[in-house]
Amino acid sequence: MAEESSAGAVRLPILMLRVARQILHFLPLLLTLTARDLKARYRGSVLGFLWSLANPLLLLGVYTFVFSVIFQPRTPGQDPYALFMVSGLFPWIWLSTSLLEGTMSLIANSGLLRKAVFPAELLPMVSVLSNLVHLLLAVPIIAAAIVTGRILHYPVGGLASLLLPAVILLEIPLVAGLALGLSALNVHFKDVRDLLANLLTLLFFLTPVLYPLESLRKYLPIYWVVRSNPFTPFTLAYQATLFRGEIPAPGLWVQMAVVSLVAWLCGSWLFDRLRETLVEAA
Amino acid sequence: MSEIRPASSASPAIEVENLIKLYRRTAPGDQLRTLKSALLERSLTRHLRREEAIVALDGIDFSVAPGEAFGVVGGNGSGKSTLLKLVAGMLKPSSGRIDVRGRVAAMIELGAGFHPEISGRENVFINGAVLGLPRREIERRYDDIVEFSGLADFMEEPVKNYSSGMYVRLGFAVAIHTDPDVLLVDEVLAVGDEAFAHRCLRRIEEFLAAGRTLLFVSHSLDLVEGICDRVLWLEGGRQRLVGEPRRVIDAYRQEVAEREGEAHKAAKERREEREESAAEGAPEARLRWGSGEAEITKVRLLGPDGGERYHLSSGEDATFELQVEARRPLGDFVFGIALSTPRGHEVWGTNTDLEGYVPSRLAGEAKVRIVCPALRLAPGEYRVDIAVHTRDGAPYDYRKEVVSFTVTAKTGGVGVYFPDHRWEFGDGVQWGKDD
Repeated sequence: MAEESSAGAVRLPILMLRVARQILHFLPLLLTLTARDLKARYRGSVLGFLWSLANPLLLLGVYTFVFSVIFQPRTPGQDPYALFMVSGLFPWIWLSTSLLEGTMSLIANSGLLRKAVFPAELLPMVSVLSNLVHLLLAVPIIAAAIVTGRILHYPVGGLASLLLPAVILLEIPLVAGLALGLSALNVHFKDVRDLLANLLTLLFFLTPVLYPLESLRKYLPIYWVVRSNPFTPFTLAYQATLFRGEIPAPGLWVQMAVVSLVAWLCGSWLFDRLRETLVEAA
Repeated sequence: MSEIRPASSASPAIEVENLIKLYRRTAPGDQLRTLKSALLERSLTRHLRREEAIVALDGIDFSVAPGEAFGVVGGNGSGKSTLLKLVAGMLKPSSGRIDVRGRVAAMIELGAGFHPEISGRENVFINGAVLGLPRREIERRYDDIVEFSGLADFMEEPVKNYSSGMYVRLGFAVAIHTDPDVLLVDEVLAVGDEAFAHRCLRRIEEFLAAGRTLLFVSHSLDLVEGICDRVLWLEGGRQRLVGEPRRVIDAYRQEVAEREGEAHKAAKERREEREESAAEGAPEARLRWGSGEAEITKVRLLGPDGGERYHLSSGEDATFELQVEARRPLGDFVFGIALSTPRGHEVWGTNTDLEGYVPSRLAGEAKVRIVCPALRLAPGEYRVDIAVHTRDGAPYDYRKEVVSFTVTAKTGGVGVYFPDHRWEFGDGVQWGKDD
């Protein structure tokens, strides 16, 4: 993962790696807990994990109807709209649910923290990983959409879509770092959760998920706001690989790597700073 | 106080030095300051003013040798659980030092991380992983764990369908099979049925016999005395006494009894105040009745030294002293006393008439003493009723539960009477040494 390779390259202060080392050390426990989380979530429900797809599909249907039937698209480059949207929407849902659940993870599991000797950093990681599993479970839907697009002679997907795992891997430190930092902050400062929920709603519209970035060229200030949103490079990369069938430009890879690294370092630093006070305050 | 410490040249398994733990008082609207303190100082309590902190532990100092069973007793809020969490490494000391050598398992709550929706079997693996056991190891010990828990038939059931006893049994079974060097146990043996409690104790004894170390927190003083080599008594976060279990626990019990005595005293004073303030027309009929021609104005329990007491050791000399005031000279009067348990069982009662005193004259203020040399009551709480009445039984003043007191004894027993006694055995009976 990114934190490891960067460690070799730039020799970061030891403290910033402590969280990463701790997580790797407890990787089997992390996987066990993630499996527990997933099993427990769908135990006893008939449709099981299919429910994790229901909401994205519903959103997809509604947005597609609204933006391709009611409002005719005014800019090119988003046809077929459903496929354009699906490529950005599923990764966004991973990001936002991971952050929302991750932020609450320490408080929700305070029993575990207070009653057992337990590496707290695993809890936000469980949220990130179990939602990643949901994203991966949605991949067949994305694949089916690409195949359908191909059959209808749209130039979508192709070999470039095989780069999807690379983009996801690059985004993991971003999501994980933010979840770590937010979860620790939220223990002391419960407003974080509500702040985040609203911020995510705003950011959703400031990320080019529903519209192509190019359609904002006419409104330059807004264009630059959206372009400098740290989540935008990832969305652009997902759209490049899945929708346009292009390999993302080198500059985009660099942006993603930098954003991801910075987010990880900030988040894990914050978590590490607050670690010793978490058990008492959770 | 090292008389019982096992002879061992090895370095201690647990070493605690001048340990202090503060908690931050949470004031509403204080979150930003708390966060700032956590961020800048990595602590919630550094640079706190005295009134902003709660002192959970203050100056704790002890060490536990490998193979030793160390008990911690004390009232609620005395800092026992905080101490255990500090030794487990879950909390950081505010100052002082804690060293623990070897693998630690903490049974602070059994079944930590159990998820109600998934099966017992899966929970064993998760709980084992939370307690730091690799999956391979759990697989190897799985059968032992199930057998120990006695839940073989329920392993595929979701844990939410378990009774609380079953939940705890499975939790204990997993925890004890993680094979730690140092086991921290916080009041978890109190749950589960008798048979399971015995199995746990046997297992703990095997564990100790294997040279492992136990730190045991419990309110069950008999259990602590039975298991532990040394005991620490905590009170209000301070270390009152460390040493041989019998001595520490007796001292603790003695003090608890004295406290209860103080509570009896306070209750009596409250009652008297109430009686004084109560209007003449509204007497407390339930606890006091009578014509009032003679009045019991004061009742005290005196110890062997003649001082007022609210607790006794079984076998101590006790005196019940009453002050009586007659409104007019009386020629027909009987003094009576009765002892009962809080649940209303009569323990003993007598009066001057039964014992052959023939009344002649009672006038003005008078003092009456009932002296009981070597009062051998069983440990427990007792209440005293005192009455003055006519020989026919018409009360001048009947006062129920006018005094209560607590009795303690060195050994246990059932019932209310605690005679001086000894055991004698013939040749066919042999006894082992108490360890």
